[in-house]
Amino acid sequence: MPLDVAAIRQEFPIFERKIHGKRLVFLDSAASSQKPRTVIGAMMHMYMHGYANVHRGLYTLAEEATAAYEEVRAKIARFINAPDPAEIVNVRNATEGLNLVAYSWGETHIHAGDRIVITELEHHANLVPWQQLAHRKGAELAYIPVNDAGELDLDALPPLLADGRTKVVACSMMSNVLGALPPVKQVAEMAHAAGALMVMDGAQAVPHRPVDVQALGADFMAFSGHKMCGPGVGILWGRYELLEAMPPFLYGGDMIRTVKRDYAKWNDVPYKFEAGTPAIAEVVGLGAAVDFLNAIGMEAIHAHEQEIVAYALARLAELPTVHVLGYSDGEHRAPQERSGVVAFTMDGIHPHDISAILDTEAVCVRAGHHCAQPLHNRFGIPASARASFYIYNDRDDVNALVEALHKVIKTFGR
Amino acid sequence: MSSDLYREQLLDHYHNPENFGVLDNADVDIEMDNPTCGDMIHLTARLDSAGRVAEVMFEGQGCVISMASASMFTEHVKGKTVQEIAAMSLTEIEQMMGGVKLSMGRVKCALLPLNAMKQGLKESGGAR
Repeated sequence: MPLDVAAIRQEFPIFERKIHGKRLVFLDSAASSQKPRTVIGAMMHMYMHGYANVHRGLYTLAEEATAAYEEVRAKIARFINAPDPAEIVNVRNATEGLNLVAYSWGETHIHAGDRIVITELEHHANLVPWQQLAHRKGAELAYIPVNDAGELDLDALPPLLADGRTKVVACSMMSNVLGALPPVKQVAEMAHAAGALMVMDGAQAVPHRPVDVQALGADFMAFSGHKMCGPGVGILWGRYELLEAMPPFLYGGDMIRTVKRDYAKWNDVPYKFEAGTPAIAEVVGLGAAVDFLNAIGMEAIHAHEQEIVAYALARLAELPTVHVLGYSDGEHRAPQERSGVVAFTMDGIHPHDISAILDTEAVCVRAGHHCAQPLHNRFGIPASARASFYIYNDRDDVNALVEALHKVIKTFGR
Repeated sequence: MSSDLYREQLLDHYHNPENFGVLDNADVDIEMDNPTCGDMIHLTARLDSAGRVAEVMFEGQGCVISMASASMFTEHVKGKTVQEIAAMSLTEIEQMMGGVKLSMGRVKCALLPLNAMKQGLKESGGAR
């Protein structure tokens, strides 16, 4: 069933806002999504009626706060089909989750001469932590290349796995630039057959489609709440036995069992990885975001975005000076599926100028390298403009984008 | 941010920049980029015997703001001393660009030529 976008928009107070007196056309959800009333309300409710620190107090309020906080862990586990809520680690964002894996697992398992395999389409969050780990350890960092259509060249992977030196493969589940959906399940099978772990960056995928970490064969998967209608918290999921064997990432309160003057013993998973007071109300807000998305249905959200991106690609094709990165037309090859992210360049016009002129029409798009510099280098461009779609976008938003792009072309007289 | 940022004067400089190219025997020769947006400038300058900027040329790629700023900058700094350039501020660049008011996100673009010049002068020892 198609989404009732008008009704969904009603749930987001931000759409009452006018920009330069015009209707807000928000096409930057891949950077961060807007928030529905239920999420804002859940956090406000906690601060007004049920806030205290978690895991410590023995009074009613503290017990309620702890229960609300822990309930979300179970909710998140169901959302991504993790077998055990204890495998859900609350972090700041996907970036911190991936750093946690690179530091904690990486420091103990990666040695000189080992190989780490990532891809050319990674966001810096799933690139720099591995690059720096490789530097620290004298390990090799290898890239699975991306072809002109924006797909991973999987033929490049078997040679990288053949000598047994590869210890981990890290791959995005959805490119934040190309909209490509890399075949992570297949990559995981290949990695596992070679004895390597599979780390998935779910920052773009988890907000937009059903994700089942067990079916995908992930060992670790990280994502951010703020891209899925939630506040600024993130989640790292990892297989229990892996998390249990790992040393802590940050040290301090709540992550310890006992502390003596000369040594300390660690708390159980996941608390071992949650040093210090967490973002309690934000975690509760993320729980409300999961409820909100589940009520719409992740399958329905994915189908909705497929429909919008197909329409957007067709409309952008009307503009000969606009060039979409990666697969855009379906005529010359059977593409890997594409998600609701469209990055593009325009002849002779810098993406900053595109974004600035679109803003005068209240159309919000991102301009820059979208934290994927090596990917932009691979396509031989310094930057691109990017429109990304979510549950509150519809064809009218695409039409507004295209109209505003005509204004860009007119401004530059080309 | 408004469309009047894309006024005719700035677009003219963007499409037909002044002093576009590279100087031979330059006292200042520097490349600088703005990594967040991919703007790049290569600035070359010659100083006269009094240590004043005699000639400046630039080449590069970037948005209207960075390229128009660079084009206008090459004229604006002629005759200025190293000290005068070191003291130049964003306000002066905004005035140079016809009194535009730049949003936070575009300030870096507009300042790219000035920052390149300051850095280039520093690296060249300030004067011959």
